Amino acid sequence: MPFQQGSARTRQRTVLLVGIVLLLATLVLAVVLASLLTHGKHEDSPKMLKWKDRGTTKNLQEVILGRCYNYITERYPELGDKDCLKIWESLKDAFIYKNPCNITTEDYQPLMELASHPIPCNKSLFWSKTNDLVHRYTKSNQNFLTLEDTLLGYMADRISWCGDPSAPGINYESCPKRSECESNPSSVFWKMASKMFAEAACGVVQVMLNGSIEAGAFRSTSIFGSIEVFNLNPDKVSEVHIWVMHDIGGPQSESCSGHSIQRLKNILEERNFKIICEDNYRPVQLLQCVHNPDHTDCRLCTNSTAVP
Amino acid sequence: MMMSLFLPLLLVSVLFMSSFSEVQGRKWKGEGTTQNLESIAIGRCYDYIRIVNPAVGEKNCSEIWEAFKSAFINKDPCSILPEDYELFINLSLHTIPANKSLFWENNQLLVNSFADRGRRYMSVGDTLFGFFGDFLNWCGQANSSGLDYESCPTTMECETNAVDSFWRMASITYAKHSSGEIHVLLNGSAVGGAYPQPSFFADYEIPNLQKDKISQIVIWVVDDIEGPDLDSCGIHSVKILETRLKTLGYNVTCIDNYKSVVFLLCLDYPDNSKCAVPSSAPAGQRGPISSDRGGSWNKLMFVSFVGFLFRFALVY
Repeated sequence: MPFQQGSARTRQRTVLLVGIVLLLATLVLAVVLASLLTHGKHEDSPKMLKWKDRGTTKNLQEVILGRCYNYITERYPELGDKDCLKIWESLKDAFIYKNPCNITTEDYQPLMELASHPIPCNKSLFWSKTNDLVHRYTKSNQNFLTLEDTLLGYMADRISWCGDPSAPGINYESCPKRSECESNPSSVFWKMASKMFAEAACGVVQVMLNGSIEAGAFRSTSIFGSIEVFNLNPDKVSEVHIWVMHDIGGPQSESCSGHSIQRLKNILEERNFKIICEDNYRPVQLLQCVHNPDHTDCRLCTNSTAVP
Repeated sequence: MMMSLFLPLLLVSVLFMSSFSEVQGRKWKGEGTTQNLESIAIGRCYDYIRIVNPAVGEKNCSEIWEAFKSAFINKDPCSILPEDYELFINLSLHTIPANKSLFWENNQLLVNSFADRGRRYMSVGDTLFGFFGDFLNWCGQANSSGLDYESCPTTMECETNAVDSFWRMASITYAKHSSGEIHVLLNGSAVGGAYPQPSFFADYEIPNLQKDKISQIVIWVVDDIEGPDLDSCGIHSVKILETRLKTLGYNVTCIDNYKSVVFLLCLDYPDNSKCAVPSSAPAGQRGPISSDRGGSWNKLMFVSFVGFLFRFALVY
């Protein structure tokens, strides 16, 4: 009975084939599921903390290194002995893999020591609520230095950074705002750098304040009002020159005779500093006039002539 | 006796001079490559795209550095042409916003201040490709993949050197991509004329301006505050420039001692008569603590007092 044997074999083969197909299908399904699950896991695994402010600046290392070498080359060749690579490493070590709400001054101590340098006397220029104006001034006039014109400030200006306990240790997505936690990498850095900048000042120091803002030209909550003023050394600093600047055409909310300036004066006098206050310090006002050449406050005795 | 002293002295000084120059070992008369050039250049590239002008978008700064190097590495440092920087320019090129171009001659620091890092104007030094190389120096050497840190050729020694060719290419590119109302700031106190020839502006920028993209050319001729008034609109070299541009078909305006720029120059000379303001209120009142502004003082005290009361009320 060959025919009956043939059909049995065919059935066997069919069963075998079906079994193989089923097995293959199961394998494929398993692989697909596995890859989906692990992909999902990759998305979850960083588990970096989420914050409200912008994250670490991309290519932070290259920017910091470049700025360090650039500063030494362009602005302060006498600092040629500074090791920019070490400076970068010490900055990184201050925050990498750390919870960004637990940063301390000890974290930044090595960086501060490596990157600090002496400031010539009579050149320190402090500021509060005059960021744009004061830096346009020091850029155009090399007689004064703000913190952002020192190596530390120059490297860190307009940059942000923070770490996270999970790999890769740096959070490029977000960083804590001051309102989320005070001991964040940025706040701790700037407070510490400001303190050191004030401590290093000698001779006559200057401060540029904004006499056009409602909240007052001098505020105790500002870095200047809470840290820098109290870290000026009376043995090194002889005088404090205050410049109260008004926006061209802007409100004159306060001037040298104003209430908050009086408070500042009291604090400084108590610490034995001589004080001179000037409204609208002329060279800085000239800079303001660059943007408002036709305003009445900016009339020049000699008129320019236009030749069409 | 004198002769017997003179000859040995002469011999010694000749020997000293020749050994001195040998010890120097300098091939060229110019300064060598800037130290840490690679770190500075790559750092500037990222600084530019992340902080200075993020609007240009993503750029590969390592690739840009390699393209830059390839223009002059392993070549005779006197054989570098502007075209050698073509790849570098292609990779670093970006839009220059209309009406923001600022050309210049003989006043680089002033232009840097006035342009305010691209916020007010975008000079060639405020573009990515210009920012990359500004104030730096570099050159290579034949048969070596290294940079020459000892010396580089000056323009006098050969014009087709790495740095000059870079700026020629940068100037050409900058002019080609400028549009709208363009400005040129010239120094009215410069010896040799406010519009010098030859110069980057005359030879590489003007010929590459795109007439169909430019609506107007505004020339500012500004004298140094304490400098002589050697050149002005309508005379000497400025007249030559105005004529050239008008012949090329451009709308041209010229202004002497444009006020905004004069104010900037006055920063260093606030007491110069050119910088004086007819005083209604005194320009600056030095004096301990209080400054009496006359009639406005009482108003100010009143406003401060009211403000203080208001804050007091808010706090409590």
